[in-house]
Amino acid sequence: MSATTTPELTLPPKPRNIRQRVLVATGFLLFTIATCIPAIGGITLDIAALIRNWNNGAGLLLQLFTPDFTFLPRTIGPMIETLQMALVGAVGAAIVSVPLTLWAATPTNPNSITRQAVRTVINVIRAIPDLVYATVLVAMLGVGALPGVLTLFLFNVGVVVKLVSEAIDSADHAYMEAGRAAGGSQLQINRVTALPQAWPLFANQWLYALELNVRISAILGIVGAGGIGRLIDERRAFFAYDDVSVIILQILVVVVLIEFVSHALRRRLT
Amino acid sequence: MSGPVGVLHPPVRRRRTAATVWAVVVGGVVVAATAGLQIDWRELGQLPAELLRFGTLMFTDPDWERLPRALFEMWRSISMAWIGAILCVVLSIPLGILAARGVGPRWVRLPLRGIFAVIRAVPEVIIALLLLTVTGLTPLTGALALGIAGIGTQAKWVYETIESAEEGTSEAVRAAGGTTAEVARWALWPAVAPALMSFALYRFEINIRTSAVLGLVGAGGVGSMLANYTNFRAWDTVGMLLIVVIVATMIIDAISGAIRRRIMQGPAVNPGRRLVARGGKH
Repeated sequence: MSATTTPELTLPPKPRNIRQRVLVATGFLLFTIATCIPAIGGITLDIAALIRNWNNGAGLLLQLFTPDFTFLPRTIGPMIETLQMALVGAVGAAIVSVPLTLWAATPTNPNSITRQAVRTVINVIRAIPDLVYATVLVAMLGVGALPGVLTLFLFNVGVVVKLVSEAIDSADHAYMEAGRAAGGSQLQINRVTALPQAWPLFANQWLYALELNVRISAILGIVGAGGIGRLIDERRAFFAYDDVSVIILQILVVVVLIEFVSHALRRRLT
Repeated sequence: MSGPVGVLHPPVRRRRTAATVWAVVVGGVVVAATAGLQIDWRELGQLPAELLRFGTLMFTDPDWERLPRALFEMWRSISMAWIGAILCVVLSIPLGILAARGVGPRWVRLPLRGIFAVIRAVPEVIIALLLLTVTGLTPLTGALALGIAGIGTQAKWVYETIESAEEGTSEAVRAAGGTTAEVARWALWPAVAPALMSFALYRFEINIRTSAVLGLVGAGGVGSMLANYTNFRAWDTVGMLLIVVIVATMIIDAISGAIRRRIMQGPAVNPGRRLVARGGKH
Protein backbone atom coordinates (compact mmCIF):
# COMPACT_ATOMS: atom_id res chain seq x y z
CA MET A 1 0.00 0.00 0.00
CA SER A 2 2.37 2.69 1.15
CA ALA A 3 6.06 2.64 0.76
CA THR A 4 7.27 1.89 4.23
CA THR A 5 10.90 1.47 4.95
CA THR A 6 10.42 -1.14 7.63
CA PRO A 7 9.50 -4.57 6.42
CA GLU A 8 6.10 -5.80 7.52
CA LEU A 9 6.19 -8.02 10.55
CA THR A 10 5.26 -11.58 9.93
CA LEU A 11 3.50 -12.76 13.02
CA PRO A 12 3.58 -16.43 13.82
CA PRO A 13 0.11 -17.95 13.56
CA LYS A 14 -1.76 -18.15 16.83
CA PRO A 15 -1.91 -21.60 18.32
CA ARG A 16 -5.68 -22.02 18.09
CA ASN A 17 -7.66 -25.12 18.59
CA ILE A 18 -11.14 -24.25 17.42
CA ARG A 19 -12.54 -27.74 17.77
CA GLN A 20 -11.44 -27.98 21.36
CA ARG A 21 -12.88 -24.57 22.20
CA VAL A 22 -16.21 -25.47 20.65
CA LEU A 23 -16.21 -28.72 22.57
CA VAL A 24 -15.51 -27.00 25.88
CA ALA A 25 -18.10 -24.31 25.22
CA THR A 26 -20.80 -26.83 24.29
CA GLY A 27 -19.98 -28.95 27.30
CA PHE A 28 -20.28 -25.93 29.54
CA LEU A 29 -23.54 -24.81 27.94
CA LEU A 30 -25.12 -28.26 28.04
CA PHE A 31 -24.23 -28.70 31.69
CA THR A 32 -25.58 -25.28 32.55
CA ILE A 33 -28.81 -25.94 30.65
CA ALA A 34 -29.16 -29.30 32.37
CA THR A 35 -28.88 -27.60 35.75
CA CYS A 36 -31.85 -25.39 34.83
CA ILE A 37 -34.32 -28.14 33.88
CA PRO A 38 -36.66 -28.60 36.84
CA ALA A 39 -37.98 -31.90 35.45
CA ILE A 40 -34.74 -33.69 36.20
CA GLY A 41 -34.02 -31.83 39.43
CA GLY A 42 -32.49 -28.65 38.06
CA ILE A 43 -33.47 -25.33 39.54
CA THR A 44 -36.39 -23.21 38.43
CA LEU A 45 -35.34 -19.77 37.29
CA ASP A 46 -38.31 -17.90 38.74
CA ILE A 47 -37.07 -14.37 39.11
CA ALA A 48 -40.53 -12.93 39.78
CA ALA A 49 -40.95 -14.99 42.94
CA LEU A 50 -37.53 -13.86 44.02
CA ILE A 51 -38.46 -10.21 43.74
CA ARG A 52 -41.75 -10.81 45.51
CA ASN A 53 -40.01 -12.48 48.42
CA TRP A 54 -37.37 -9.82 48.50
CA ASN A 55 -39.99 -7.13 49.01
CA ASN A 56 -41.42 -9.11 51.91
CA GLY A 57 -38.08 -9.77 53.54
CA ALA A 58 -36.12 -6.59 52.95
CA GLY A 59 -37.28 -5.21 56.28
CA LEU A 60 -35.62 -8.10 58.06
CA LEU A 61 -32.36 -7.33 56.35
CA LEU A 62 -32.67 -3.75 57.51
CA GLN A 63 -33.12 -5.00 61.05
CA LEU A 64 -29.84 -6.83 60.61
CA PHE A 65 -28.05 -3.52 60.36
CA THR A 66 -29.39 -2.28 63.69
CA PRO A 67 -27.80 -4.69 66.17
CA ASP A 68 -29.29 -4.78 69.66
CA PHE A 69 -26.28 -4.97 71.93
CA THR A 70 -28.29 -5.63 75.09
CA PHE A 71 -28.39 -9.19 73.80
CA LEU A 72 -24.62 -9.53 74.02
CA PRO A 73 -24.35 -11.01 77.57
CA ARG A 74 -26.51 -13.96 76.56
CA THR A 75 -24.15 -14.87 73.74
CA ILE A 76 -21.03 -15.21 75.90
CA GLY A 77 -21.82 -18.68 77.31
CA PRO A 78 -22.61 -20.30 73.94
CA MET A 79 -19.59 -18.60 72.40
CA ILE A 80 -17.31 -20.14 75.01
CA GLU A 81 -18.89 -23.52 74.35
CA THR A 82 -18.23 -22.99 70.64
CA LEU A 83 -14.56 -22.27 71.28
CA GLN A 84 -14.23 -25.24 73.60
CA MET A 85 -15.74 -27.52 70.98
CA ALA A 86 -13.40 -26.13 68.35
CA LEU A 87 -10.36 -26.71 70.53
CA VAL A 88 -11.28 -30.19 71.75
CA GLY A 89 -12.15 -31.34 68.24
CA ALA A 90 -8.89 -29.98 66.85
CA VAL A 91 -6.77 -31.54 69.60
CA GLY A 92 -8.42 -34.94 69.26
CA ALA A 93 -7.89 -34.83 65.51
CA ALA A 94 -4.30 -33.68 65.97
CA ILE A 95 -3.51 -36.75 68.07
CA VAL A 96 -5.17 -39.19 65.67
CA SER A 97 -3.82 -37.48 62.57
CA VAL A 98 -0.16 -38.34 63.23
CA PRO A 99 -0.30 -42.12 62.74
CA LEU A 100 -2.96 -41.84 60.04
CA THR A 101 -0.87 -39.37 58.07
CA LEU A 102 2.19 -41.58 58.23
CA TRP A 103 0.04 -44.45 57.00
CA ALA A 104 -1.35 -42.37 54.15
CA ALA A 105 1.96 -41.05 52.77
CA THR A 106 4.07 -43.10 50.37
CA PRO A 107 7.53 -42.52 51.87
CA THR A 108 6.39 -43.44 55.37
CA ASN A 109 4.24 -46.40 54.37
CA PRO A 110 5.60 -48.46 51.50
CA ASN A 111 2.75 -50.96 51.79
CA SER A 112 0.37 -49.89 49.05
CA ILE A 113 -2.62 -51.87 50.37
CA THR A 114 -2.79 -50.26 53.81
CA ARG A 115 -1.89 -46.90 52.31
CA GLN A 116 -4.73 -47.04 49.81
CA ALA A 117 -7.09 -48.22 52.52
CA VAL A 118 -6.31 -45.25 54.75
CA ARG A 119 -6.51 -42.84 51.82
CA THR A 120 -9.88 -44.18 50.75
CA VAL A 121 -11.25 -43.82 54.27
CA ILE A 122 -9.97 -40.25 54.41
CA ASN A 123 -11.46 -39.40 51.03
CA VAL A 124 -14.81 -40.81 52.11
CA ILE A 125 -14.66 -38.82 55.34
CA ARG A 126 -13.87 -35.70 53.36
CA ALA A 127 -16.70 -36.19 50.90
CA ILE A 128 -19.37 -35.64 53.56
CA PRO A 129 -20.08 -32.01 54.42
CA ASP A 130 -19.63 -31.01 58.07
CA LEU A 131 -23.24 -30.18 58.80
CA VAL A 132 -24.36 -33.49 57.33
CA TYR A 133 -22.20 -35.26 59.90
CA ALA A 134 -23.65 -33.06 62.58
CA THR A 135 -27.24 -33.80 61.50
CA VAL A 136 -26.74 -37.55 61.45
CA LEU A 137 -24.72 -37.60 64.68
CA VAL A 138 -27.30 -35.46 66.47
CA ALA A 139 -29.95 -37.96 65.44
CA MET A 140 -27.78 -40.77 66.76
CA LEU A 141 -26.41 -39.30 69.97
CA GLY A 142 -28.92 -36.63 70.85
CA VAL A 143 -28.66 -32.85 70.97
CA GLY A 144 -25.54 -31.49 72.63
CA ALA A 145 -21.88 -30.74 72.25
CA LEU A 146 -20.74 -34.33 71.71
CA PRO A 147 -22.00 -34.65 68.11
CA GLY A 148 -20.48 -31.26 67.44
CA VAL A 149 -17.08 -32.26 68.75
CA LEU A 150 -17.20 -35.50 66.78
CA THR A 151 -18.12 -33.63 63.61
CA LEU A 152 -15.18 -31.28 64.04
CA PHE A 153 -12.92 -34.20 64.85
CA LEU A 154 -13.86 -36.09 61.68
CA PHE A 155 -13.62 -32.98 59.54
CA ASN A 156 -10.19 -32.09 60.94
CA VAL A 157 -8.82 -35.60 60.54
CA GLY A 158 -9.82 -35.42 56.87
CA VAL A 159 -8.18 -32.04 56.31
CA VAL A 160 -4.96 -32.66 58.25
CA VAL A 161 -4.27 -36.19 57.00
CA LYS A 162 -4.96 -35.25 53.38
CA LEU A 163 -2.87 -32.08 53.32
CA VAL A 164 0.07 -33.31 55.41
CA SER A 165 0.34 -36.67 53.68
CA GLU A 166 0.36 -34.92 50.32
CA ALA A 167 3.05 -32.57 51.57
CA ILE A 168 5.13 -35.55 52.74
CA ASP A 169 4.56 -37.25 49.40
CA SER A 170 5.82 -34.30 47.42
CA ALA A 171 8.88 -33.61 49.57
CA ASP A 172 12.32 -35.01 48.92
CA HIS A 173 13.31 -37.83 51.23
CA ALA A 174 17.02 -38.32 50.97
CA TYR A 175 17.32 -38.38 54.75
CA MET A 176 14.99 -41.35 54.97
CA GLU A 177 17.32 -43.40 52.83
CA ALA A 178 20.02 -42.73 55.37
CA GLY A 179 17.79 -44.33 57.97
CA ARG A 180 17.13 -47.27 55.70
CA ALA A 181 20.81 -47.67 54.92
CA ALA A 182 21.54 -47.75 58.65
CA GLY A 183 19.20 -50.73 58.88
CA GLY A 184 16.27 -49.04 60.58
CA SER A 185 12.81 -50.55 60.48
CA GLN A 186 10.08 -48.47 58.85
CA LEU A 187 8.78 -47.50 62.28
CA GLN A 188 12.22 -46.32 63.39
CA ILE A 189 12.79 -44.45 60.17
CA ASN A 190 9.46 -42.67 60.51
CA ARG A 191 10.08 -41.86 64.13
CA VAL A 192 13.59 -40.51 63.69
CA THR A 193 13.63 -39.04 60.19
CA ALA A 194 10.14 -38.42 58.84
CA LEU A 195 8.44 -37.08 61.94
CA PRO A 196 10.91 -34.31 62.82
CA GLN A 197 10.65 -33.20 59.21
CA ALA A 198 6.86 -33.27 59.31
CA TRP A 199 6.20 -31.50 62.63
CA PRO A 200 6.08 -28.00 61.13
CA LEU A 201 3.68 -29.26 58.46
CA PHE A 202 1.53 -30.82 61.12
CA ALA A 203 1.57 -27.78 63.37
CA ASN A 204 0.64 -25.58 60.44
CA GLN A 205 -2.35 -27.71 59.52
CA TRP A 206 -3.46 -28.17 63.12
CA LEU A 207 -3.66 -24.42 63.54
CA TYR A 208 -5.46 -24.14 60.23
CA ALA A 209 -7.91 -26.80 61.39
CA LEU A 210 -8.49 -24.83 64.57
CA GLU A 211 -9.27 -21.73 62.51
CA LEU A 212 -11.74 -23.67 60.40
CA ASN A 213 -13.26 -25.17 63.53
CA VAL A 214 -14.15 -21.82 65.00
CA ARG A 215 -16.14 -20.99 61.88
CA ILE A 216 -17.76 -24.39 61.62
CA SER A 217 -18.60 -24.78 65.28
CA ALA A 218 -20.38 -21.45 65.06
CA ILE A 219 -22.89 -23.02 62.67
CA LEU A 220 -23.08 -26.55 64.06
CA GLY A 221 -25.72 -25.47 66.54
CA ILE A 222 -28.12 -24.83 63.68
CA VAL A 223 -28.70 -28.57 63.49
CA GLY A 224 -28.53 -29.02 67.27
CA ALA A 225 -24.87 -29.85 67.77
CA GLY A 226 -24.10 -27.27 70.44
CA GLY A 227 -22.41 -23.91 70.45
CA ILE A 228 -23.54 -20.48 69.38
CA GLY A 229 -25.30 -21.74 66.25
CA ARG A 230 -28.18 -22.88 68.44
CA LEU A 231 -28.69 -19.28 69.51
CA ILE A 232 -28.61 -18.09 65.90
CA ASP A 233 -31.24 -20.62 64.97
CA GLU A 234 -33.41 -19.66 67.95
CA ARG A 235 -33.26 -15.91 67.36
CA ARG A 236 -33.80 -16.39 63.63
CA ALA A 237 -36.90 -18.44 64.31
CA PHE A 238 -38.25 -15.51 66.36
CA PHE A 239 -37.29 -13.12 63.53
CA ALA A 240 -35.17 -11.25 66.07
CA TYR A 241 -32.69 -10.13 63.48
CA ASP A 242 -31.24 -7.43 65.66
CA ASP A 243 -30.07 -10.21 67.99
CA VAL A 244 -28.82 -12.38 65.12
CA SER A 245 -26.79 -9.43 63.98
CA VAL A 246 -25.08 -9.21 67.39
CA ILE A 247 -24.18 -12.89 67.23
CA ILE A 248 -22.77 -12.55 63.73
CA LEU A 249 -20.70 -9.56 64.74
CA GLN A 250 -19.38 -11.56 67.65
CA ILE A 251 -18.50 -14.52 65.43
CA LEU A 252 -16.80 -12.08 63.08
CA VAL A 253 -14.65 -10.66 65.88
CA VAL A 254 -13.74 -14.08 67.26
CA VAL A 255 -12.92 -15.53 63.84
CA VAL A 256 -10.71 -12.57 62.97
CA LEU A 257 -8.96 -12.78 66.37
CA ILE A 258 -8.31 -16.51 66.05
CA GLU A 259 -7.04 -16.09 62.51
CA PHE A 260 -4.75 -13.30 63.62
CA VAL A 261 -3.26 -15.39 66.44
CA SER A 262 -3.02 -18.45 64.24
CA HIS A 263 -1.32 -16.54 61.44
CA ALA A 264 1.19 -15.09 63.88
CA LEU A 265 1.96 -18.57 65.23
CA ARG A 266 2.22 -20.07 61.76
CA ARG A 267 4.62 -17.38 60.64
CA ARG A 268 6.83 -18.24 63.58
CA LEU A 269 6.77 -21.90 62.61
CA THR A 270 8.05 -21.41 59.11
CA MET B 1 31.39 -52.30 74.56
CA SER B 2 34.51 -54.22 73.75
CA GLY B 3 33.74 -54.57 70.03
CA PRO B 4 35.53 -52.54 67.43
CA VAL B 5 32.38 -50.59 66.66
CA GLY B 6 31.16 -48.40 69.50
CA VAL B 7 27.54 -47.57 70.16
CA LEU B 8 26.56 -44.45 68.31
CA HIS B 9 25.18 -41.64 70.42
CA PRO B 10 22.99 -39.01 68.81
CA PRO B 11 23.99 -35.48 69.72
CA VAL B 12 22.56 -34.12 72.95
CA ARG B 13 19.29 -32.33 72.46
CA ARG B 14 18.90 -28.65 73.11
CA ARG B 15 16.93 -27.74 76.22
CA ARG B 16 13.73 -26.01 75.36
CA THR B 17 12.28 -24.60 78.55
CA ALA B 18 10.08 -22.05 76.81
CA ALA B 19 8.59 -24.73 74.58
CA THR B 20 7.88 -26.90 77.61
CA VAL B 21 6.14 -24.06 79.40
CA TRP B 22 4.03 -23.38 76.31
CA ALA B 23 3.17 -27.05 76.02
CA VAL B 24 2.01 -27.10 79.64
CA VAL B 25 -0.09 -23.95 79.14
CA VAL B 26 -1.70 -25.28 75.96
CA GLY B 27 -2.27 -28.63 77.65
CA GLY B 28 -3.92 -26.87 80.57
CA VAL B 29 -6.23 -24.92 78.27
CA VAL B 30 -7.16 -28.09 76.41
CA VAL B 31 -7.92 -29.93 79.64
CA ALA B 32 -9.98 -26.98 80.87
CA ALA B 33 -11.90 -26.88 77.60
CA THR B 34 -12.53 -30.60 77.70
CA ALA B 35 -13.73 -30.43 81.27
CA GLY B 36 -15.81 -27.33 80.58
CA LEU B 37 -17.82 -28.92 77.80
CA GLN B 38 -21.06 -30.40 78.98
CA ILE B 39 -20.29 -33.81 77.64
CA ASP B 40 -20.52 -36.99 79.60
CA TRP B 41 -17.19 -38.36 78.45
CA ARG B 42 -18.15 -41.83 79.66
CA GLU B 43 -20.46 -41.89 76.64
CA LEU B 44 -17.35 -41.93 74.55
CA GLY B 45 -16.71 -45.50 75.69
CA GLN B 46 -20.01 -46.63 74.23
CA LEU B 47 -19.50 -44.58 71.12
CA PRO B 48 -17.85 -47.27 68.97
CA ALA B 49 -20.65 -49.70 69.77
CA GLU B 50 -23.27 -47.04 69.02
CA LEU B 51 -21.65 -46.05 65.76
CA LEU B 52 -21.45 -49.69 64.78
CA ARG B 53 -25.11 -50.15 65.59
CA PHE B 54 -26.20 -47.18 63.52
CA GLY B 55 -23.69 -48.09 60.84
CA THR B 56 -25.30 -51.52 60.44
CA LEU B 57 -28.75 -49.92 60.44
CA MET B 58 -27.67 -47.55 57.69
CA PHE B 59 -25.43 -49.58 55.46
CA THR B 60 -26.30 -53.28 55.70
CA ASP B 61 -29.51 -52.83 53.76
CA PRO B 62 -29.64 -49.35 52.22
CA ASP B 63 -33.03 -48.44 50.86
CA TRP B 64 -32.32 -48.47 47.13
CA GLU B 65 -35.98 -48.03 46.25
CA ARG B 66 -35.69 -44.32 46.91
CA LEU B 67 -32.58 -44.02 44.76
CA PRO B 68 -34.32 -42.26 41.81
CA ARG B 69 -35.65 -39.62 44.18
CA ALA B 70 -32.21 -39.30 45.77
CA LEU B 71 -30.54 -38.84 42.39
CA PHE B 72 -33.14 -36.23 41.49
CA GLU B 73 -32.38 -34.33 44.68
CA MET B 74 -28.66 -34.78 44.22
CA TRP B 75 -28.90 -33.22 40.78
CA ARG B 76 -30.80 -30.35 42.35
CA SER B 77 -27.93 -29.83 44.79
CA ILE B 78 -25.41 -30.02 41.96
CA SER B 79 -27.46 -27.49 39.99
CA MET B 80 -27.52 -25.14 42.95
CA ALA B 81 -23.77 -25.51 43.27
CA TRP B 82 -23.18 -24.93 39.56
CA ILE B 83 -25.42 -21.89 39.15
CA GLY B 84 -24.06 -20.55 42.42
CA ALA B 85 -20.51 -21.03 41.17
CA ILE B 86 -21.26 -19.24 37.89
CA LEU B 87 -22.87 -16.38 39.76
CA CYS B 88 -20.00 -16.19 42.21
CA VAL B 89 -17.38 -16.17 39.46
CA VAL B 90 -19.25 -13.63 37.34
CA LEU B 91 -19.55 -11.32 40.32
CA SER B 92 -16.12 -11.85 41.78
CA ILE B 93 -13.99 -11.43 38.65
CA PRO B 94 -14.88 -7.77 37.98
CA LEU B 95 -14.93 -6.98 41.70
CA GLY B 96 -11.62 -8.76 42.22
CA ILE B 97 -10.06 -6.94 39.28
CA LEU B 98 -11.20 -3.60 40.70
CA ALA B 99 -9.72 -4.55 44.06
CA ALA B 100 -6.34 -5.51 42.61
CA ARG B 101 -3.41 -3.23 43.28
CA GLY B 102 -2.54 -1.24 40.21
CA VAL B 103 -5.99 -1.53 38.62
CA GLY B 104 -8.65 0.17 40.71
CA PRO B 105 -8.14 3.46 42.52
CA ARG B 106 -7.45 3.35 46.25
CA TRP B 107 -10.89 4.53 47.35
CA VAL B 108 -12.46 1.62 45.45
CA ARG B 109 -9.85 -0.96 46.38
CA LEU B 110 -9.84 -0.60 50.14
CA PRO B 111 -13.62 -0.65 50.77
CA LEU B 112 -13.96 -3.60 48.40
CA ARG B 113 -11.27 -5.52 50.23
CA GLY B 114 -12.96 -4.71 53.51
CA ILE B 115 -16.25 -6.12 52.24
CA PHE B 116 -14.51 -9.27 50.98
CA ALA B 117 -12.83 -9.72 54.36
CA VAL B 118 -16.13 -9.40 56.20
CA ILE B 119 -17.87 -11.89 53.89
CA ARG B 120 -14.95 -14.27 54.34
CA ALA B 121 -15.02 -14.06 58.10
CA VAL B 122 -18.70 -14.88 58.42
CA PRO B 123 -19.34 -18.57 57.77
CA GLU B 124 -20.94 -19.06 54.34
CA VAL B 125 -23.85 -20.94 55.80
CA ILE B 126 -24.83 -18.00 57.99
CA ILE B 127 -24.77 -15.58 55.05
CA ALA B 128 -26.81 -18.04 53.03
CA LEU B 129 -29.21 -18.58 55.90
CA LEU B 130 -29.85 -14.86 56.25
CA LEU B 131 -30.34 -14.41 52.52
CA LEU B 132 -32.66 -17.38 52.43
CA THR B 133 -34.97 -15.92 55.06
CA VAL B 134 -35.24 -12.80 52.93
CA THR B 135 -35.54 -14.39 49.51
CA GLY B 136 -37.46 -17.52 50.41
CA LEU B 137 -36.34 -21.10 50.49
CA THR B 138 -36.02 -22.34 46.91
CA PRO B 139 -33.14 -23.91 45.03
CA LEU B 140 -32.74 -20.70 43.02
CA THR B 141 -32.30 -18.62 46.15
CA GLY B 142 -29.96 -21.31 47.41
CA ALA B 143 -27.82 -20.79 44.32
CA LEU B 144 -28.02 -17.04 44.82
CA ALA B 145 -26.91 -17.41 48.43
CA LEU B 146 -24.00 -19.63 47.39
CA GLY B 147 -23.01 -17.07 44.80
CA ILE B 148 -22.97 -14.18 47.23
CA ALA B 149 -21.49 -16.05 50.18
CA GLY B 150 -18.58 -17.21 48.05
CA ILE B 151 -17.60 -13.76 46.81
CA GLY B 152 -15.37 -13.02 49.79
CA THR B 153 -12.93 -15.83 49.08
CA GLN B 154 -13.32 -15.92 45.31
CA ALA B 155 -12.63 -12.21 44.82
CA LYS B 156 -9.59 -12.48 47.08
CA TRP B 157 -8.22 -15.25 44.88
CA VAL B 158 -8.87 -13.08 41.83
CA TYR B 159 -6.98 -10.04 43.08
CA GLU B 160 -4.18 -12.12 44.51
CA THR B 161 -3.76 -13.87 41.15
CA ILE B 162 -3.72 -10.56 39.30
CA GLU B 163 -1.23 -9.05 41.69
CA SER B 164 1.08 -12.02 41.39
CA ALA B 165 1.01 -11.88 37.57
CA GLU B 166 4.29 -10.72 36.12
CA GLU B 167 4.62 -7.04 35.36
CA GLY B 168 6.60 -7.53 32.16
CA THR B 169 3.75 -8.15 29.72
CA SER B 170 1.67 -5.29 31.13
CA GLU B 171 4.59 -2.96 30.74
CA ALA B 172 5.21 -4.16 27.21
CA VAL B 173 1.61 -3.48 26.20
CA ARG B 174 1.70 -0.09 27.88
CA ALA B 175 4.98 0.75 26.19
CA ALA B 176 3.44 -0.13 22.83
CA GLY B 177 0.74 2.47 23.56
CA GLY B 178 -1.98 0.21 24.94
CA THR B 179 -4.81 1.62 27.03
CA THR B 180 -5.81 0.20 30.40
CA ALA B 181 -8.46 -1.92 28.73
CA GLU B 182 -5.93 -3.24 26.25
CA VAL B 183 -3.50 -3.99 29.05
CA ALA B 184 -6.22 -5.95 30.78
CA ARG B 185 -7.18 -7.82 27.61
CA TRP B 186 -3.77 -8.61 26.16
CA ALA B 187 -1.45 -8.75 29.16
CA LEU B 188 -3.42 -9.56 32.31
CA TRP B 189 -6.15 -11.81 30.97
CA PRO B 190 -3.92 -14.35 29.20
CA ALA B 191 -1.74 -14.53 32.30
CA VAL B 192 -4.49 -15.02 34.86
CA ALA B 193 -7.23 -16.80 32.88
CA PRO B 194 -6.06 -20.37 33.57
CA ALA B 195 -5.79 -19.73 37.29
CA LEU B 196 -9.20 -18.05 37.36
CA MET B 197 -10.80 -20.97 35.50
CA SER B 198 -9.21 -23.34 37.94
CA PHE B 199 -10.52 -21.33 40.89
CA ALA B 200 -13.96 -21.29 39.31
CA LEU B 201 -14.02 -25.07 39.20
CA TYR B 202 -12.73 -25.18 42.74
CA ARG B 203 -15.62 -22.94 43.77
CA PHE B 204 -17.97 -25.50 42.21
CA GLU B 205 -16.37 -28.25 44.30
CA ILE B 206 -16.78 -26.18 47.46
CA ASN B 207 -20.36 -25.35 46.53
CA ILE B 208 -21.25 -29.02 46.15
CA ARG B 209 -20.60 -29.42 49.86
CA THR B 210 -22.20 -26.15 50.88
CA SER B 211 -25.31 -26.79 48.79
CA ALA B 212 -25.89 -30.05 50.65
CA VAL B 213 -25.63 -28.03 53.85
CA LEU B 214 -28.10 -25.42 52.57
CA GLY B 215 -30.49 -28.26 51.92
CA LEU B 216 -30.33 -29.11 55.61
CA VAL B 217 -31.75 -25.70 56.47
CA GLY B 218 -34.47 -26.04 53.85
CA ALA B 219 -33.21 -24.80 50.50
CA GLY B 220 -34.04 -28.11 48.80
CA GLY B 221 -31.81 -30.71 47.25
CA VAL B 222 -30.22 -33.76 48.77
CA GLY B 223 -29.63 -32.00 52.08
CA SER B 224 -33.35 -31.45 52.61
CA MET B 225 -34.10 -35.08 51.83
CA LEU B 226 -31.38 -36.17 54.23
CA ALA B 227 -32.68 -33.90 56.98
CA ASN B 228 -36.21 -35.26 56.53
CA TYR B 229 -35.25 -38.92 56.64
CA THR B 230 -32.92 -38.31 59.56
CA ASN B 231 -35.83 -36.78 61.44
CA PHE B 232 -37.93 -39.86 60.59
CA ARG B 233 -35.05 -42.04 61.84
CA ALA B 234 -35.33 -43.93 58.54
CA TRP B 235 -31.76 -45.12 58.81
CA ASP B 236 -31.75 -47.32 55.72
CA THR B 237 -32.70 -44.33 53.58
CA VAL B 238 -30.19 -42.12 55.39
CA GLY B 239 -27.51 -44.69 54.61
CA MET B 240 -28.48 -44.75 50.94
CA LEU B 241 -28.46 -40.93 50.82
CA LEU B 242 -25.04 -40.76 52.44
CA ILE B 243 -23.71 -43.21 49.85
CA VAL B 244 -25.20 -41.06 47.07
CA VAL B 245 -23.67 -37.89 48.52
CA ILE B 246 -20.27 -39.49 49.02
CA VAL B 247 -20.12 -41.08 45.57
CA ALA B 248 -21.42 -37.98 43.78
CA THR B 249 -19.03 -35.69 45.63
CA MET B 250 -16.04 -37.93 44.97
CA ILE B 251 -16.89 -38.28 41.27
CA ILE B 252 -17.28 -34.52 40.87
CA ASP B 253 -14.08 -33.88 42.79
CA ALA B 254 -12.22 -36.32 40.56
CA ILE B 255 -13.56 -34.86 37.29
CA SER B 256 -13.16 -31.28 38.38
CA GLY B 257 -9.69 -31.98 39.74
CA ALA B 258 -8.65 -33.58 36.44
CA ILE B 259 -9.94 -30.58 34.47
CA ARG B 260 -8.16 -28.19 36.80
CA ARG B 261 -4.89 -30.05 36.36
CA ARG B 262 -5.41 -29.98 32.61
CA ILE B 263 -6.04 -26.22 32.69
CA MET B 264 -3.03 -25.45 34.83
CA GLN B 265 -0.53 -27.86 33.30
CA GLY B 266 -1.63 -28.03 29.68
CA PRO B 267 -2.30 -31.13 27.62
CA ALA B 268 -0.44 -34.25 28.58
CA VAL B 269 1.23 -34.87 25.24
CA ASN B 270 4.89 -35.13 24.51
CA PRO B 271 5.98 -31.50 24.12
CA GLY B 272 8.75 -32.41 21.69
CA ARG B 273 6.31 -34.05 19.31
CA ARG B 274 4.00 -31.04 19.40
CA LEU B 275 6.83 -28.70 18.49
CA VAL B 276 7.77 -30.87 15.56
CA ALA B 277 4.17 -31.10 14.39
CA ARG B 278 3.68 -27.38 14.58
CA GLY B 279 6.99 -26.72 12.91
CA GLY B 280 5.92 -28.89 10.02
CA LYS B 281 2.82 -26.79 9.39
CA HIS B 282 4.59 -23.71 8.23
